[in-house]
Amino acid sequence: MLRPRIIVCLDVHEGRVVKGTKFKELRDVGDPVELARRYESEGADEVVFLDISASHEGRGTLLDTVRRTAEVLFVPLTVGGGIRTVEDMDALLRAGADKVSVNSGAVHDPEILTRGADRFGSQCVVLSIDAARDGTSWYHHTHGGRRRTDMEVVGWAKTCVERGAGEVLLTSIDRDGVRTGYDLELTRAVADAVTVPVIASGGAGTPAHLRDGFREGHASAVLLAGILHDGLTTVRELKIELAAWGIPVRPAPALPVPAVPMEEGR
Amino acid sequence: MIRLGLFDYGAGNLHSLRKGLEAGGARVTVTSDWQEALGQDGLVLPGVGSFGSAVRGLGGERERVRDALEEGLPCLGICLGMQLLFPASEEAPGNGIGFLPGEVRRLRARIVPQMGWNDVEGGADPILRGVGDFPAYYANSFICEVDEVEASAVIATSRYDDDEFAAGVRKGRTLGFQFHPEKSSSAGLRILANFVEEVAG
Repeated sequence: MLRPRIIVCLDVHEGRVVKGTKFKELRDVGDPVELARRYESEGADEVVFLDISASHEGRGTLLDTVRRTAEVLFVPLTVGGGIRTVEDMDALLRAGADKVSVNSGAVHDPEILTRGADRFGSQCVVLSIDAARDGTSWYHHTHGGRRRTDMEVVGWAKTCVERGAGEVLLTSIDRDGVRTGYDLELTRAVADAVTVPVIASGGAGTPAHLRDGFREGHASAVLLAGILHDGLTTVRELKIELAAWGIPVRPAPALPVPAVPMEEGR
Repeated sequence: MIRLGLFDYGAGNLHSLRKGLEAGGARVTVTSDWQEALGQDGLVLPGVGSFGSAVRGLGGERERVRDALEEGLPCLGICLGMQLLFPASEEAPGNGIGFLPGEVRRLRARIVPQMGWNDVEGGADPILRGVGDFPAYYANSFICEVDEVEASAVIATSRYDDDEFAAGVRKGRTLGFQFHPEKSSSAGLRILANFVEEVAG
């Protein structure tokens, strides 16, 4: 049985983990390598780094962070932010990402998904959608949620899956950071329309929100950030609650994950 | 110290696998040179890239790799690396190593790829010592059905929707896992350490 996943998202800015509300008001919440390791030991099923600096100068710093993380993290790591070319994907995968998440890059050139899937396999290529509601539909946004596109989200997700995306990371801009629950209608609309896993993102505040993301949103995975970084709960506690509701999550490890020494002289 | 050759087909993350094997006590050489890869105490075929890119990575060395495995070189194939042990895959044309009989085909489930932690039912094979039945991390669209593989070669199975497929295979000193031990936290690291121990023994 495939287990519903809990994915922890770390927004990374110049080598540090930060958290903002509605893509604004950034606060420093810690070291990415250390936090990723801690979340693995708590039972996180995957870790996502979103590079929100995405500047040319920030690229080297990001690759270094990914490299250091991959050496000590033994659950999957997805990295997104500023990926425009297959070479960008290659650099991140070589540095130690297991998957790459593409947002604006796919709007700019949807063929990047096809070329990435051909070379690395579609399981490496995640389509990231930042969706905001407008009337009865949702529209995809780029540039960290600031720029609206003409792409209606459900159609855009289907197009990108046909082109090679192997997973959809679906963030509700309206719910991001506000902790009132995932946009279940949005999540379900996309999850029912595509044949790849959908990750619900934006709005998690309570264990019941996660449960609803799986049951009512039909998500394969749920993404969390703020409530964990703020210490309001832990992945372990969330998994215990979900299991009690009959959601067959992977149990958190009973024992601490063995530490692997950091490579010296880098 | 045990030396392992980790073959690099030219795509994807090899860091975690290298570190996982090193944590198990091996010295790992990452290389795209078959002579160098086959010249170590054991060979590791990683699970990154596509079947087509891996077949291109095999180049004209297919027979040589198969001969080395038949002569008893210990080998660990992961995900795509396990699929490469079979003769062919629906994913792309071209020949795999053909060390094990069986055809690799696409999953028939509604949601493909299979992405996430799925239960592995393990048997008594020593490579699984200390892990029992456990959830392991999968990221794959292709599998080899249990019925396609010689029964004696299947050491672990998993199920995804209606597909029952080989999670682990063994023939002699060659092992394959459809899941990613290097992404399966403690249980996966234990399997990598067991492999290093087996190469040493």
